[in-house]
Amino acid sequence: MRKILLVIQREYIVRVRTKAFIIFTVLMPLLMGAAVIVPGKLMMQSAGTRHVTIVCADAAVAATMKSELEGSRASDDKEAPAAAEEQHGEKRGTKQDFAVTVESTPSEELRRNLTSMVRNNALDGFAWIEPDAIRTRKATYYSRNSSDFIESSLVSRALRLALSERELAGHGFSAAQAKTLLGPIAVNNVHISNEGATQSNGSGAFVLPFLLLMAIYMTVLIYGLYVMRSVIEEKSSRVIEVLLGSLTPMQLMAGKIIGVGAVGLTQIGIWALAGIAMGTGGFAMAGRMMGDSMKDAHISTTVLALFPVFFLLGYATYSCMYAAVGAMVNSEEEAQQLQFPVTLPLIACIVVATAVIRDPNTPLAFWLSMFPLTSPIIMFVRVSENMPPLWQLALSIALSLATLYALVWLSSRIYRVGILMYGKRPTLPEIVKWIRYS
Amino acid sequence: MALTLEMETVTKTFDEFVAVDRLSFSIREGEIFGLLGPNGAGKTSSIRMMIGITAPDSGSIRLFGHPLSREGVDRVGYLPEERGLYKKMKIMENLVFLARLKGIATAEAKRRANQWLERLDLGGWANARLEELSKGMQQKVQFIAAVLHQPDFMILDEPFSGLDPASSLALKDALLDLKRQGKTILFSTHRMDTVERLCDSICLINHGRSVLLGALREIKAGYGRSSVQLEYEGELPLLHDPALVASFNDFGNYVELRIAPGAEPQRLLETAMRTARICRFEIVEPSLEEIFIDTVENTRMVSSRA
Repeated sequence: MRKILLVIQREYIVRVRTKAFIIFTVLMPLLMGAAVIVPGKLMMQSAGTRHVTIVCADAAVAATMKSELEGSRASDDKEAPAAAEEQHGEKRGTKQDFAVTVESTPSEELRRNLTSMVRNNALDGFAWIEPDAIRTRKATYYSRNSSDFIESSLVSRALRLALSERELAGHGFSAAQAKTLLGPIAVNNVHISNEGATQSNGSGAFVLPFLLLMAIYMTVLIYGLYVMRSVIEEKSSRVIEVLLGSLTPMQLMAGKIIGVGAVGLTQIGIWALAGIAMGTGGFAMAGRMMGDSMKDAHISTTVLALFPVFFLLGYATYSCMYAAVGAMVNSEEEAQQLQFPVTLPLIACIVVATAVIRDPNTPLAFWLSMFPLTSPIIMFVRVSENMPPLWQLALSIALSLATLYALVWLSSRIYRVGILMYGKRPTLPEIVKWIRYS
Repeated sequence: MALTLEMETVTKTFDEFVAVDRLSFSIREGEIFGLLGPNGAGKTSSIRMMIGITAPDSGSIRLFGHPLSREGVDRVGYLPEERGLYKKMKIMENLVFLARLKGIATAEAKRRANQWLERLDLGGWANARLEELSKGMQQKVQFIAAVLHQPDFMILDEPFSGLDPASSLALKDALLDLKRQGKTILFSTHRMDTVERLCDSICLINHGRSVLLGALREIKAGYGRSSVQLEYEGELPLLHDPALVASFNDFGNYVELRIAPGAEPQRLLETAMRTARICRFEIVEPSLEEIFIDTVENTRMVSSRA
């Protein structure tokens, strides 16, 4: 036991004082924040003012469109218009500045002129609205950049509003009445979980489990690989031979896995403390940076408490396998290919995670949260999304522990023989033989 | 006299390959013992079993008079042939870590490490990382790591390889010091000159089997004064005459040879004088190198015949 402690101590100190640890500790939250925030910011970012011409014989329709398009600037202040956009099924937070000119006399010559202006970059686009557009519900939007769906959908929405208002006016509605009718309806999302109902909104509920998922995935993978590297280092530097004169392979492997795991917990602890220090769970800061999409996002204490549990389960499972891989090879280059099958279930977790977050109650989510190689991650995603029934949680952890027991047995046997083998990488039958050695 | 190590019909097989084959020998307390053999003879496999890294398939090993145990192994210092310490760790950290694994307290380990570093000319390097040191210096650190916990039994696999003459001398003195303190030392090597000067007993193994075992003095005496050392200028065609010379090791102007059974040393000298100028002619005990080559070649012939 004293010797295991010494190994733990060495692994811990050597790793914690490296620059890599310090950098990763600081960088990881920033990277994860960036991974979520940057694409969102890019989406929201205005690509400069769009100069657009509306060609429409009906001056009232053109005027409504113009004010609607140019008015979308007003949606910057986060009140009704933001919800309105959502209500209308637009991409949230998208905004685009428009400068609109109106032409009320359509002619082929005008169309040619405008076309050449668009081609010469003098104009970003023009909407061609035939007089019978109300009936046909068709119009054409000419632009250089037809792939900018935000731009064309905004134009389309403006036209729809303008035509509808015009139609309602024809039926005797006042302008104010028409505005109300066509105005946004705000739907409040109330998230009902086993812990009660909380106010939430869609994207916050998606982003948060995703961040937690990435955190647990990254830590399990990175610390698992640390164990592998540590085994390879001791093997390739031949220090293993000296060590085995002082302790048993089991003591060494146990100390190594516990020591590296303790480094992982330290790192997670630092992140958690930093998060708490920065406000309500750190994610609030990210929330502020992202606007209000994460306003209501918060982590319950249960989820927070289960994070280290699932990290340890996942880490122990994978580090055992990585330790065995490390013992089988002579160098890190050789380990590259051999570690892939071990890493595969982890990658699979990330692939299906989005689906699980969207609906944590599918059979796929259920089975993956039971399968021991994916359960630490997928079950944690389910927990952070919506607490599954307690028996499922208990079963998942029990299965995971049972598998861990078998893996420790298997890995330690491979490890014990492998660390003294140099040269050719063993074949599968050879590894089976190693396991059988008593 | 107490026995430090007893190996009895120890056998180790890897798959089909017999690495160690019914090997038996024992090492007396306080002696320097040479475990000799060509590459791949089973030296490292034997040593690994002595300190419990691997277990023998059959046979028994006793350490300090008891069956092999962790407590016993903690009294052993091991310098493996393949050197290895943590490259990224400082010298002192490496040494303290390994000493603590053997049960030495940190402060005491540091004190002893400093003494040893001074003694082996590594005084200023305690806080350097291992990878900053030259190969020879790393070698010395490795030696310190093996002796820091003051083991009663030291197993040193090729301790002098890669050392410059000055370091070799310092190391040899250190070893003799340890011997004077009553420590037992096992050398594993194929460098015969070292063994010849330092060892009390030897075991020569080949193909995992013991082919020559005993006190070095007795072994040499057993070969009799049948060897000749000859310094010469000119040609010596007589070397190829099987009636006079059984075997020889020619260095150009110096030759060591074994006289053929029944041949007269006197006649050998006469014959030699006809073709070369003889500067020195001495009838001696065979050198260990001769015995080594002779024995290994004999067993090779035996095993190829079998």
